[in-house]
Amino acid sequence: MNVVELVEVTKVYELPRGSIKALDNVTANIEAGEFISVMGPSGSGKTTLLNIIGCLDSPTSGRVAIGGENVSGLDDDNLTKIRRDKIGFVFQQFNLIPTLTALENIAYPLILKGVNGHERRTKELLSAVGLDEQLGENKPTELSGGEQQRVAIARALANDPDIILADEPTGNLDSKTSKDILQLLKETNERGKTIVVVTHDPLVASYTSRTFRLVDGRVEDKVRNFK
Amino acid sequence: MIFFEFAKRNLARHKFRSVLAVIGIVIGVLAITALGILGNSVRLAASEQLCMIGNELVVFPYGEEAISEDDFEKIDKVADAIPVRSSVDKVILNGESTLVMIYGMRSEDIPKLMEKEDGQFLKHGSLNCLVGSRLADYYDLRVGERAAIGSQKPRIVGILKERGIGFDISPDNAIIISDKMFSSLYDSTSGYNSVIVKVDNIEDVEEVREEIEDRLNKKEEVVMVMELKMIVEGIKELFNTISIFLLGIGAISLLVAGVSILNVMMMSTVERTKEIGVMRAIGTSRSGILRMFLFESLILGAFGGVIGAILGFGTGFLVDVLILKEASYLFAPSSIFYVFVGIAFGIGTSVISGLYPAWRASRLKPIEALRYE
Repeated sequence: MNVVELVEVTKVYELPRGSIKALDNVTANIEAGEFISVMGPSGSGKTTLLNIIGCLDSPTSGRVAIGGENVSGLDDDNLTKIRRDKIGFVFQQFNLIPTLTALENIAYPLILKGVNGHERRTKELLSAVGLDEQLGENKPTELSGGEQQRVAIARALANDPDIILADEPTGNLDSKTSKDILQLLKETNERGKTIVVVTHDPLVASYTSRTFRLVDGRVEDKVRNFK
Repeated sequence: MIFFEFAKRNLARHKFRSVLAVIGIVIGVLAITALGILGNSVRLAASEQLCMIGNELVVFPYGEEAISEDDFEKIDKVADAIPVRSSVDKVILNGESTLVMIYGMRSEDIPKLMEKEDGQFLKHGSLNCLVGSRLADYYDLRVGERAAIGSQKPRIVGILKERGIGFDISPDNAIIISDKMFSSLYDSTSGYNSVIVKVDNIEDVEEVREEIEDRLNKKEEVVMVMELKMIVEGIKELFNTISIFLLGIGAISLLVAGVSILNVMMMSTVERTKEIGVMRAIGTSRSGILRMFLFESLILGAFGGVIGAILGFGTGFLVDVLILKEASYLFAPSSIFYVFVGIAFGIGTSVISGLYPAWRASRLKPIEALRYE
Protein backbone atom coordinates (compact mmCIF):
# COMPACT_ATOMS: atom_id res chain seq x y z
CA MET A 1 0.00 0.00 0.00
CA ASN A 2 1.23 3.48 -0.86
CA VAL A 3 1.27 5.92 2.01
CA VAL A 4 2.18 8.79 -0.31
CA GLU A 5 1.32 9.08 -3.98
CA LEU A 6 2.63 11.98 -6.03
CA VAL A 7 1.42 12.17 -9.62
CA GLU A 8 2.98 14.75 -11.93
CA VAL A 9 3.39 17.24 -9.13
CA THR A 10 4.64 20.66 -10.18
CA LYS A 11 5.13 23.66 -7.89
CA VAL A 12 5.82 27.09 -9.31
CA TYR A 13 6.59 30.09 -7.11
CA GLU A 14 5.72 33.46 -8.61
CA LEU A 15 8.38 35.90 -7.49
CA PRO A 16 8.92 39.52 -8.54
CA ARG A 17 12.01 38.45 -10.52
CA GLY A 18 10.01 35.81 -12.39
CA SER A 19 8.62 32.39 -11.67
CA ILE A 20 10.66 29.59 -10.15
CA LYS A 21 9.84 25.96 -10.70
CA ALA A 22 10.57 24.36 -7.33
CA LEU A 23 9.17 20.98 -8.34
CA ASP A 24 9.00 19.83 -11.92
CA ASN A 25 6.63 17.03 -12.79
CA VAL A 26 7.49 14.78 -9.85
CA THR A 27 5.89 11.36 -9.77
CA ALA A 28 6.74 9.10 -6.85
CA ASN A 29 5.21 6.60 -4.48
CA ILE A 30 6.19 5.85 -0.90
CA GLU A 31 5.11 2.52 0.45
CA ALA A 32 4.08 1.80 4.02
CA GLY A 33 7.06 0.96 6.19
CA GLU A 34 9.65 2.64 4.00
CA PHE A 35 12.43 4.85 5.38
CA ILE A 36 13.22 7.37 2.71
CA SER A 37 15.81 10.11 2.49
CA VAL A 38 15.47 13.05 0.16
CA MET A 39 18.82 14.50 -0.89
CA GLY A 40 19.93 17.24 -3.17
CA PRO A 41 21.72 20.57 -3.22
CA SER A 42 20.19 23.75 -1.79
CA GLY A 43 17.31 25.00 -3.87
CA SER A 44 16.68 21.65 -5.45
CA GLY A 45 13.16 21.54 -4.03
CA LYS A 46 13.66 19.19 -1.06
CA THR A 47 11.78 21.32 1.42
CA THR A 48 9.04 22.11 -1.09
CA LEU A 49 8.54 18.39 -1.64
CA LEU A 50 8.36 17.83 2.11
CA ASN A 51 5.89 20.71 2.56
CA ILE A 52 3.65 19.31 -0.15
CA ILE A 53 3.70 15.80 1.32
CA GLY A 54 3.09 17.40 4.73
CA CYS A 55 -0.01 19.29 3.50
CA LEU A 56 1.57 22.61 4.42
CA ASP A 57 1.68 23.68 0.80
CA SER A 58 -0.34 22.71 -2.24
CA PRO A 59 1.05 21.92 -5.70
CA THR A 60 0.47 24.20 -8.70
CA SER A 61 -0.56 21.12 -10.65
CA GLY A 62 -0.61 17.38 -10.12
CA ARG A 63 -2.21 15.09 -7.60
CA VAL A 64 -1.20 14.25 -4.01
CA ALA A 65 -2.69 11.46 -1.92
CA ILE A 66 -1.79 10.77 1.71
CA GLY A 67 -2.81 7.46 3.24
CA GLY A 68 -5.01 6.83 0.21
CA GLU A 69 -6.87 10.16 0.56
CA ASN A 70 -6.62 12.73 -2.19
CA VAL A 71 -5.63 16.00 -0.54
CA SER A 72 -5.67 18.24 -3.62
CA GLY A 73 -8.24 20.97 -3.28
CA LEU A 74 -8.99 20.44 0.42
CA ASP A 75 -9.65 23.59 2.47
CA ASP A 76 -7.49 24.79 5.34
CA ASP A 77 -9.51 23.12 8.10
CA ASN A 78 -9.39 19.71 6.40
CA LEU A 79 -5.69 19.99 5.60
CA THR A 80 -5.12 20.90 9.26
CA LYS A 81 -6.96 17.73 10.31
CA ILE A 82 -4.79 15.63 7.96
CA ARG A 83 -1.65 17.19 9.43
CA ARG A 84 -2.94 16.48 12.93
CA ASP A 85 -4.03 12.87 12.35
CA LYS A 86 -1.93 11.46 9.49
CA ILE A 87 1.38 13.30 9.61
CA GLY A 88 4.07 13.71 12.25
CA PHE A 89 6.56 16.53 11.86
CA VAL A 90 10.14 16.61 13.13
CA PHE A 91 12.00 19.86 12.54
CA GLN A 92 15.66 20.85 12.42
CA GLN A 93 15.17 23.32 15.28
CA PHE A 94 12.99 20.91 17.31
CA ASN A 95 10.20 23.54 17.48
CA LEU A 96 8.64 22.45 20.74
CA ILE A 97 6.03 24.82 22.17
CA PRO A 98 7.97 26.81 24.77
CA THR A 99 5.09 27.29 27.23
CA LEU A 100 4.42 23.55 27.49
CA THR A 101 6.42 20.95 29.41
CA ALA A 102 7.92 17.97 27.58
CA LEU A 103 4.96 15.76 28.49
CA GLU A 104 2.47 18.46 27.52
CA ASN A 105 4.21 18.88 24.16
CA ILE A 106 3.82 15.16 23.54
CA ALA A 107 0.19 15.28 24.67
CA TYR A 108 -0.67 18.33 22.57
CA PRO A 109 -1.65 16.48 19.34
CA LEU A 110 -3.77 14.10 21.43
CA ILE A 111 -5.48 17.03 23.16
CA LEU A 112 -6.11 18.69 19.79
CA LYS A 113 -7.72 15.49 18.57
CA GLY A 114 -9.78 15.27 21.74
CA VAL A 115 -8.36 11.93 22.93
CA ASN A 116 -9.46 11.13 26.47
CA GLY A 117 -7.08 9.67 29.03
CA HIS A 118 -3.95 10.58 27.12
CA GLU A 119 -1.72 10.59 30.23
CA ARG A 120 -0.72 6.93 29.92
CA ARG A 121 -0.01 7.11 26.20
CA THR A 122 2.03 10.30 26.72
CA LYS A 123 4.22 8.60 29.35
CA GLU A 124 4.66 5.54 27.14
CA LEU A 125 5.81 7.76 24.30
CA LEU A 126 8.25 9.55 26.59
CA SER A 127 9.92 6.31 27.59
CA ALA A 128 9.71 4.95 24.02
CA VAL A 129 11.97 7.78 22.85
CA GLY A 130 14.36 6.99 25.68
CA LEU A 131 13.68 9.80 28.11
CA ASP A 132 13.44 9.54 31.91
CA GLU A 133 10.07 10.20 33.43
CA GLN A 134 11.31 13.13 35.52
CA LEU A 135 12.38 15.00 32.36
CA GLY A 136 8.72 15.06 31.39
CA GLU A 137 7.99 18.01 33.68
CA ASN A 138 10.78 20.14 32.16
CA LYS A 139 10.17 23.01 29.79
CA PRO A 140 11.95 22.77 26.39
CA THR A 141 14.54 25.39 27.45
CA GLU A 142 15.57 23.10 30.29
CA LEU A 143 16.35 20.22 27.92
CA SER A 144 19.41 19.54 25.74
CA GLY A 145 19.11 19.55 21.94
CA GLY A 146 19.06 15.78 21.76
CA GLU A 147 16.41 15.57 24.48
CA GLN A 148 14.28 18.18 22.72
CA GLN A 149 14.47 16.24 19.46
CA ARG A 150 13.45 13.05 21.28
CA VAL A 151 10.42 14.90 22.67
CA ALA A 152 9.68 16.18 19.16
CA ILE A 153 9.77 12.62 17.80
CA ALA A 154 7.46 11.47 20.57
CA ARG A 155 5.10 14.35 19.72
CA ALA A 156 5.21 13.35 16.03
CA LEU A 157 4.25 9.79 17.02
CA ALA A 158 1.44 10.80 19.39
CA ASN A 159 -1.49 10.49 17.02
CA ASP A 160 -0.07 7.35 15.38
CA PRO A 161 0.35 9.07 11.98
CA ASP A 162 0.71 7.36 8.59
CA ILE A 163 4.00 9.05 7.99
CA ILE A 164 6.73 10.98 9.82
CA LEU A 165 8.32 13.87 7.97
CA ALA A 166 11.68 15.04 9.25
CA ASP A 167 13.45 18.10 7.86
CA GLU A 168 17.19 17.88 8.66
CA PRO A 169 16.42 16.31 12.07
CA THR A 170 20.11 16.16 13.00
CA GLY A 171 21.08 19.53 11.52
CA ASN A 172 21.38 21.20 14.91
CA LEU A 173 22.95 18.30 16.82
CA ASP A 174 26.52 17.14 17.42
CA SER A 175 27.63 13.93 15.71
CA LYS A 176 27.19 11.69 18.77
CA THR A 177 23.66 12.93 19.41
CA SER A 178 22.90 12.79 15.69
CA LYS A 179 23.67 9.08 15.64
CA ASP A 180 21.42 8.52 18.67
CA ILE A 181 18.54 10.34 17.00
CA LEU A 182 19.09 8.48 13.71
CA GLN A 183 19.10 5.24 15.64
CA LEU A 184 15.83 6.24 17.28
CA LEU A 185 14.30 7.03 13.88
CA LYS A 186 15.56 3.72 12.53
CA GLU A 187 14.01 1.83 15.45
CA THR A 188 10.79 3.74 14.91
CA ASN A 189 10.87 2.67 11.26
CA GLU A 190 11.56 -0.92 12.25
CA ARG A 191 8.42 -0.81 14.38
CA GLY A 192 6.54 -0.11 11.14
CA LYS A 193 6.39 3.66 10.84
CA THR A 194 6.93 5.20 7.39
CA ILE A 195 9.53 7.98 7.57
CA VAL A 196 10.76 10.59 5.10
CA VAL A 197 13.91 12.52 5.99
CA VAL A 198 15.19 15.53 4.10
CA THR A 199 18.95 15.88 4.44
CA HIS A 200 22.18 16.74 2.69
CA ASP A 201 24.17 14.52 5.06
CA PRO A 202 25.20 11.16 3.50
CA LEU A 203 25.41 9.68 7.01
CA VAL A 204 21.67 10.30 7.45
CA ALA A 205 20.94 8.78 4.05
CA SER A 206 22.92 5.71 4.98
CA TYR A 207 20.33 4.84 7.63
CA THR A 208 17.48 4.88 5.13
CA SER A 209 16.25 2.22 2.76
CA ARG A 210 15.74 4.41 -0.30
CA THR A 211 17.05 7.79 -1.41
CA PHE A 212 15.38 10.31 -3.72
CA ARG A 213 17.93 12.57 -5.42
CA LEU A 214 16.46 15.93 -6.38
CA VAL A 215 18.10 18.23 -8.91
CA ASP A 216 16.37 21.42 -10.06
CA GLY A 217 12.99 20.21 -8.90
CA ARG A 218 13.21 16.84 -10.66
CA VAL A 219 13.76 13.45 -9.09
CA GLU A 220 16.94 12.33 -10.86
CA ASP A 221 16.98 8.84 -9.42
CA LYS A 222 15.52 6.72 -6.69
CA VAL A 223 18.29 4.60 -5.20
CA ARG A 224 17.80 1.53 -3.08
CA ASN A 225 20.33 1.50 -0.29
CA PHE A 226 21.84 -1.83 0.56
CA LYS A 227 23.41 -2.79 3.81
CA MET B 1 -9.49 24.07 27.50
CA ILE B 2 -6.02 23.99 26.02
CA PHE B 3 -6.19 27.41 24.31
CA PHE B 4 -7.21 29.13 27.55
CA GLU B 5 -4.24 27.47 29.21
CA PHE B 6 -1.97 28.74 26.40
CA ALA B 7 -3.35 32.24 26.85
CA LYS B 8 -2.63 32.16 30.60
CA ARG B 9 0.91 30.88 30.13
CA ASN B 10 1.71 33.30 27.32
CA LEU B 11 0.61 36.20 29.50
CA ALA B 12 2.68 34.85 32.37
CA ARG B 13 5.67 34.61 30.03
CA HIS B 14 5.71 38.42 29.69
CA LYS B 15 4.51 39.42 33.14
CA PHE B 16 5.69 43.01 33.06
CA ARG B 17 4.12 43.67 29.68
CA SER B 18 0.85 42.04 30.72
CA VAL B 19 0.76 44.05 33.95
CA LEU B 20 1.26 47.29 32.00
CA ALA B 21 -1.56 46.38 29.63
CA VAL B 22 -3.81 45.58 32.61
CA ILE B 23 -2.93 48.91 34.25
CA GLY B 24 -4.13 50.69 31.12
CA ILE B 25 -7.49 48.96 31.35
CA VAL B 26 -7.63 49.52 35.13
CA ILE B 27 -7.27 53.28 34.65
CA GLY B 28 -9.94 53.37 31.96
CA VAL B 29 -12.43 51.31 33.95
CA LEU B 30 -11.60 53.24 37.13
CA ALA B 31 -12.39 56.49 35.33
CA ILE B 32 -15.66 55.20 33.87
CA THR B 33 -16.86 53.67 37.13
CA ALA B 34 -15.84 56.53 39.41
CA LEU B 35 -17.11 59.27 37.10
CA GLY B 36 -20.29 57.32 36.41
CA ILE B 37 -20.95 56.95 40.14
CA LEU B 38 -20.11 60.62 40.70
CA GLY B 39 -22.49 61.79 37.98
CA ASN B 40 -25.21 59.52 39.27
CA SER B 41 -24.71 60.60 42.90
CA VAL B 42 -24.96 64.26 41.92
CA ARG B 43 -28.17 63.49 40.07
CA LEU B 44 -29.57 61.55 43.03
CA ALA B 45 -28.58 64.30 45.44
CA ALA B 46 -30.29 66.90 43.29
CA SER B 47 -33.46 64.91 42.76
CA GLU B 48 -33.68 64.34 46.49
CA GLN B 49 -33.66 68.11 47.02
CA LEU B 50 -35.97 68.97 44.18
CA CYS B 51 -39.58 68.02 43.79
CA MET B 52 -39.82 67.12 40.15
CA ILE B 53 -43.44 66.90 39.15
CA GLY B 54 -43.89 67.22 35.45
CA ASN B 55 -47.64 67.40 35.03
CA GLU B 56 -48.20 70.76 36.71
CA LEU B 57 -48.49 74.31 35.53
CA VAL B 58 -47.98 77.22 37.89
CA VAL B 59 -49.75 80.44 37.08
CA PHE B 60 -48.22 83.61 38.50
CA PRO B 61 -49.57 87.13 38.24
CA TYR B 62 -47.77 89.18 35.63
CA GLY B 63 -46.05 92.09 37.38
CA GLU B 64 -46.89 92.72 41.00
CA GLU B 65 -50.59 92.15 41.26
CA ALA B 66 -52.23 89.00 42.50
CA ILE B 67 -54.48 86.73 40.47
CA SER B 68 -58.05 87.87 40.93
CA GLU B 69 -60.93 85.59 41.87
CA ASP B 70 -62.38 86.08 38.38
CA ASP B 71 -59.17 85.03 36.70
CA PHE B 72 -58.93 82.03 38.99
CA GLU B 73 -62.43 80.96 37.92
CA LYS B 74 -61.33 81.18 34.30
CA ILE B 75 -58.32 78.98 34.96
CA ASP B 76 -60.41 76.51 36.93
CA LYS B 77 -62.69 76.09 33.91
CA VAL B 78 -59.75 74.97 31.78
CA ALA B 79 -58.46 72.45 34.29
CA ASP B 80 -58.61 71.58 37.97
CA ALA B 81 -56.86 74.54 39.65
CA ILE B 82 -55.52 75.06 43.16
CA PRO B 83 -55.31 78.65 44.40
CA VAL B 84 -52.42 79.44 46.73
CA ARG B 85 -51.91 82.45 48.94
CA SER B 86 -48.54 82.91 50.46
CA SER B 87 -46.76 85.28 52.75
CA VAL B 88 -43.63 85.45 54.84
CA ASP B 89 -44.13 86.31 58.46
CA LYS B 90 -42.59 86.15 61.88
CA VAL B 91 -43.67 83.02 63.71
CA ILE B 92 -42.89 81.73 67.16
CA LEU B 93 -42.13 78.03 67.27
CA ASN B 94 -41.26 76.30 70.51
CA GLY B 95 -40.48 79.66 72.01
CA GLU B 96 -38.17 80.76 69.20
CA SER B 97 -39.04 83.49 66.80
CA THR B 98 -38.28 82.99 63.13
CA LEU B 99 -39.30 84.12 59.66
CA VAL B 100 -41.28 81.43 57.90
CA MET B 101 -43.16 80.97 54.63
CA ILE B 102 -46.89 80.70 55.22
CA TYR B 103 -49.22 79.17 52.66
CA GLY B 104 -52.96 79.64 52.77
CA MET B 105 -54.80 76.90 50.95
CA ARG B 106 -58.26 75.40 50.68
CA SER B 107 -58.34 72.36 52.93
CA GLU B 108 -59.48 70.03 50.13
CA ASP B 109 -56.47 71.05 48.01
CA ILE B 110 -53.78 70.18 50.55
CA PRO B 111 -53.81 66.38 50.08
CA LYS B 112 -53.53 66.91 46.32
CA LEU B 113 -50.06 68.38 46.72
CA MET B 114 -48.67 67.01 49.97
CA GLU B 115 -48.52 63.90 52.09
CA LYS B 116 -48.60 63.84 55.86
CA GLU B 117 -46.02 62.25 58.08
CA ASP B 118 -47.97 62.50 61.31
CA GLY B 119 -51.33 63.77 62.58
CA GLN B 120 -53.99 64.84 60.14
CA PHE B 121 -54.75 67.36 57.40
CA LEU B 122 -56.73 70.55 58.00
CA LYS B 123 -60.49 70.45 58.15
CA HIS B 124 -62.53 72.97 56.18
CA GLY B 125 -62.16 76.42 57.69
CA SER B 126 -59.83 75.09 60.36
CA LEU B 127 -57.93 77.47 62.59
CA ASN B 128 -55.14 74.95 63.08
CA CYS B 129 -51.99 74.53 61.01
CA LEU B 130 -49.66 72.02 59.37
CA VAL B 131 -45.88 72.32 59.51
CA GLY B 132 -43.26 71.19 57.01
CA SER B 133 -40.90 68.34 57.86
CA ARG B 134 -37.67 70.34 58.07
CA LEU B 135 -39.29 72.97 60.23
CA ALA B 136 -40.65 70.26 62.49
CA ASP B 137 -37.23 68.63 62.72
CA TYR B 138 -35.35 71.84 63.38
CA TYR B 139 -37.69 73.17 66.09
CA ASP B 140 -38.57 69.72 67.39
CA LEU B 141 -42.28 70.31 66.82
CA ARG B 142 -44.90 67.71 67.71
CA VAL B 143 -48.53 67.32 66.83
CA GLY B 144 -50.61 69.13 69.45
CA GLU B 145 -48.20 71.97 70.10
CA ARG B 146 -49.05 75.53 69.23
CA ALA B 147 -47.38 78.00 66.95
CA ALA B 148 -47.84 81.73 67.17
CA ILE B 149 -48.45 83.78 64.01
CA GLY B 150 -49.24 87.41 64.77
CA SER B 151 -52.31 87.46 66.98
CA GLN B 152 -53.24 83.83 66.26
CA LYS B 153 -52.03 80.72 68.02
CA PRO B 154 -52.91 77.81 65.76
CA ARG B 155 -52.47 74.26 66.99
CA ILE B 156 -50.22 71.99 64.93
CA VAL B 157 -52.47 69.14 63.83
CA GLY B 158 -50.20 67.54 61.25
CA ILE B 159 -46.60 67.27 60.14
CA LEU B 160 -45.97 66.94 56.43
CA LYS B 161 -43.70 64.53 54.65
CA GLU B 162 -40.53 65.90 53.08
CA ARG B 163 -41.30 67.07 49.55
CA GLY B 164 -38.15 68.84 48.34
CA ILE B 165 -37.80 72.26 46.80
CA GLY B 166 -40.66 72.65 44.35
CA PHE B 167 -41.34 75.13 41.61
CA ASP B 168 -44.97 75.21 42.72
CA ILE B 169 -44.75 75.18 46.53
CA SER B 170 -41.96 74.33 48.94
CA PRO B 171 -43.70 73.27 52.14
CA ASP B 172 -40.70 71.69 53.91
CA ASN B 173 -39.74 74.90 55.67
CA ALA B 174 -43.26 76.37 55.70
CA ILE B 175 -46.49 76.48 57.68
CA ILE B 176 -49.77 75.66 55.92
CA ILE B 177 -52.95 77.22 57.13
CA SER B 178 -56.49 77.29 55.78
CA ASP B 179 -57.58 80.04 53.41
CA LYS B 180 -59.99 81.27 56.07
CA MET B 181 -57.24 81.64 58.64
CA PHE B 182 -54.99 83.27 56.04
CA SER B 183 -57.70 85.85 55.30
CA SER B 184 -58.00 86.63 58.97
CA LEU B 185 -54.26 87.24 59.24
CA TYR B 186 -53.51 89.08 56.03
CA ASP B 187 -55.30 91.24 53.55
CA SER B 188 -56.32 88.81 50.85
CA THR B 189 -58.88 90.75 48.92
CA SER B 190 -56.56 91.31 46.00
CA GLY B 191 -56.49 87.61 45.10
CA TYR B 192 -54.05 84.71 44.96
CA ASN B 193 -50.28 84.68 44.77
CA SER B 194 -50.24 81.71 42.47
CA VAL B 195 -52.49 79.08 41.01
CA ILE B 196 -51.32 75.51 40.55
CA VAL B 197 -52.93 73.54 37.75
CA LYS B 198 -52.70 69.78 37.79
CA VAL B 199 -53.00 68.24 34.35
CA ASP B 200 -54.11 64.61 34.37
CA ASN B 201 -52.16 63.63 31.30
CA ILE B 202 -48.62 64.97 30.94
CA GLU B 203 -49.06 65.01 27.15
CA ASP B 204 -51.75 67.69 27.51
CA VAL B 205 -49.61 70.15 29.49
CA GLU B 206 -48.80 72.26 26.44
CA GLU B 207 -52.38 72.49 25.32
CA VAL B 208 -53.71 73.49 28.77
CA ARG B 209 -51.01 76.12 29.06
CA GLU B 210 -51.99 77.65 25.71
CA GLU B 211 -55.63 77.68 26.62
CA ILE B 212 -55.01 79.45 29.93
CA GLU B 213 -52.87 82.04 28.21
CA ASP B 214 -55.52 82.51 25.48
CA ARG B 215 -58.30 83.07 27.98
CA LEU B 216 -56.46 85.31 30.42
CA ASN B 217 -53.98 87.23 28.35
CA LYS B 218 -56.44 88.36 25.69
CA LYS B 219 -56.01 92.11 26.01
CA GLU B 220 -52.90 92.40 28.09
CA GLU B 221 -50.51 90.12 29.90
CA VAL B 222 -52.27 89.26 33.16
CA VAL B 223 -50.58 86.01 34.08
CA MET B 224 -47.37 84.14 33.43
CA VAL B 225 -47.66 80.38 33.09
CA MET B 226 -44.71 78.26 34.12
CA GLU B 227 -44.56 74.79 32.75
CA LEU B 228 -42.90 72.38 35.19
CA LYS B 229 -42.49 69.76 32.51
CA MET B 230 -40.03 71.95 30.67
CA ILE B 231 -38.07 72.76 33.79
CA VAL B 232 -38.02 69.14 34.92
CA GLU B 233 -36.91 68.02 31.49
CA GLY B 234 -34.31 70.76 31.33
CA ILE B 235 -32.82 69.63 34.64
CA LYS B 236 -32.88 65.99 33.63
CA GLU B 237 -31.24 66.95 30.36
CA LEU B 238 -28.56 68.86 32.24
CA PHE B 239 -27.75 65.86 34.44
CA ASN B 240 -27.69 63.57 31.44
CA THR B 241 -25.24 65.91 29.76
CA ILE B 242 -23.03 65.96 32.85
CA SER B 243 -23.14 62.15 33.03
CA ILE B 244 -22.31 61.74 29.36
CA PHE B 245 -19.48 64.24 29.65
CA LEU B 246 -18.00 62.38 32.63
CA LEU B 247 -18.41 59.03 30.89
CA GLY B 248 -16.79 60.54 27.82
CA ILE B 249 -13.67 61.34 29.84
CA GLY B 250 -13.63 57.74 31.06
CA ALA B 251 -14.17 56.44 27.56
CA ILE B 252 -11.17 58.36 26.26
CA SER B 253 -8.87 56.76 28.82
CA LEU B 254 -10.33 53.38 27.94
CA LEU B 255 -9.70 54.07 24.26
CA VAL B 256 -6.04 54.74 25.08
CA ALA B 257 -5.96 51.46 27.01
CA GLY B 258 -7.49 49.70 24.00
CA VAL B 259 -4.73 51.02 21.76
CA SER B 260 -2.10 49.78 24.19
CA ILE B 261 -3.70 46.32 24.24
CA LEU B 262 -3.75 46.34 20.46
CA ASN B 263 -0.06 47.20 20.50
CA VAL B 264 0.81 44.50 23.03
CA MET B 265 -1.13 41.88 21.11
CA MET B 266 0.41 42.89 17.78
CA MET B 267 3.88 42.62 19.27
CA SER B 268 2.97 39.26 20.67
CA THR B 269 1.71 37.87 17.36
CA VAL B 270 4.84 39.03 15.55
CA GLU B 271 7.16 37.61 18.20
CA ARG B 272 5.33 34.31 18.20
CA THR B 273 5.06 33.95 14.41
CA LYS B 274 7.28 30.90 14.32
CA GLU B 275 5.50 29.32 17.27
CA ILE B 276 2.17 29.88 15.51
CA GLY B 277 3.66 28.23 12.41
CA VAL B 278 4.67 25.18 14.45
CA MET B 279 1.28 24.97 16.11
CA ARG B 280 -0.47 25.21 12.75
CA ALA B 281 1.90 22.62 11.19
CA ILE B 282 1.21 20.00 13.83
CA GLY B 283 -2.53 20.36 13.48
CA THR B 284 -3.85 23.45 15.30
CA SER B 285 -6.79 24.96 13.43
CA ARG B 286 -7.15 28.63 12.58
CA SER B 287 -9.94 28.96 15.10
CA GLY B 288 -7.64 27.50 17.77
CA ILE B 289 -5.06 30.23 17.17
CA LEU B 290 -7.84 32.84 17.08
CA ARG B 291 -9.23 31.62 20.40
CA MET B 292 -5.81 31.56 22.03
CA PHE B 293 -5.24 35.26 21.30
CA LEU B 294 -8.80 36.28 22.11
CA PHE B 295 -8.51 34.53 25.48
CA GLU B 296 -5.36 36.54 26.11
CA SER B 297 -7.13 39.84 25.56
CA LEU B 298 -10.15 38.56 27.48
CA ILE B 299 -7.98 37.74 30.50
CA LEU B 300 -6.28 41.15 30.34
CA GLY B 301 -9.68 42.82 30.08
CA ALA B 302 -11.23 40.78 32.89
CA PHE B 303 -8.38 41.52 35.27
CA GLY B 304 -8.30 45.19 34.32
CA GLY B 305 -12.08 45.43 34.46
CA VAL B 306 -12.53 43.87 37.87
CA ILE B 307 -9.60 45.68 39.50
CA GLY B 308 -10.63 48.95 37.86
CA ALA B 309 -14.24 48.55 38.98
CA ILE B 310 -13.21 47.87 42.59
CA LEU B 311 -10.90 50.90 42.61
CA GLY B 312 -13.56 52.94 40.83
CA PHE B 313 -16.12 52.00 43.46
CA GLY B 314 -13.63 53.00 46.16
CA THR B 315 -12.98 56.32 44.44
CA GLY B 316 -16.70 56.87 44.05
CA PHE B 317 -17.06 56.26 47.78
CA LEU B 318 -14.35 58.81 48.61
CA VAL B 319 -15.86 61.41 46.29
CA ASP B 320 -19.36 60.86 47.65
CA VAL B 321 -18.19 61.11 51.24
CA LEU B 322 -15.85 64.06 50.72
CA ILE B 323 -17.86 66.16 48.26
CA LEU B 324 -21.50 65.16 48.71
CA LYS B 325 -21.07 64.07 52.35
CA GLU B 326 -23.42 61.19 51.80
CA ALA B 327 -22.36 57.61 51.13
CA SER B 328 -25.82 56.18 50.56
CA TYR B 329 -25.92 57.22 46.88
CA LEU B 330 -23.08 54.76 46.29
CA PHE B 331 -25.29 51.78 46.97
CA ALA B 332 -28.19 52.94 44.84
CA PRO B 333 -28.83 50.44 42.02
CA SER B 334 -28.18 53.18 39.46
CA SER B 335 -24.70 53.69 40.97
CA ILE B 336 -23.90 49.96 41.21
CA PHE B 337 -24.91 49.82 37.54
CA TYR B 338 -21.77 51.82 36.67
CA VAL B 339 -19.57 49.18 38.31
CA PHE B 340 -20.88 46.68 35.77
CA VAL B 341 -20.73 49.22 32.96
CA GLY B 342 -17.04 49.70 33.83
CA ILE B 343 -16.30 45.97 33.84
CA ALA B 344 -18.21 45.44 30.60
CA PHE B 345 -16.44 48.30 28.85
CA GLY B 346 -13.05 47.10 30.11
CA ILE B 347 -13.57 43.57 28.81
CA GLY B 348 -15.24 44.84 25.64
CA THR B 349 -12.43 47.27 24.82
CA SER B 350 -9.78 44.70 25.37
CA VAL B 351 -11.49 41.95 23.37
CA ILE B 352 -12.20 44.35 20.50
CA SER B 353 -8.56 45.45 20.56
CA GLY B 354 -7.49 41.81 20.46
CA LEU B 355 -9.71 40.95 17.49
CA TYR B 356 -7.43 42.21 14.74
CA PRO B 357 -4.16 40.73 16.09
CA ALA B 358 -5.91 37.42 16.76
CA TRP B 359 -7.43 37.36 13.30
CA ARG B 360 -4.06 38.21 11.73
CA ALA B 361 -2.31 35.47 13.69
CA SER B 362 -4.92 32.92 12.65
CA ARG B 363 -4.50 33.83 8.96
CA LEU B 364 -0.72 33.32 8.92
CA LYS B 365 0.35 30.75 6.36
CA PRO B 366 1.96 27.85 8.20
CA ILE B 367 4.98 27.50 5.89
CA GLU B 368 5.72 31.22 5.93
CA ALA B 369 5.30 31.38 9.68
CA LEU B 370 7.58 28.36 10.12
CA ARG B 371 10.29 30.08 8.07
CA TYR B 372 10.11 33.24 10.23
CA GLU B 373 13.16 33.80 12.42
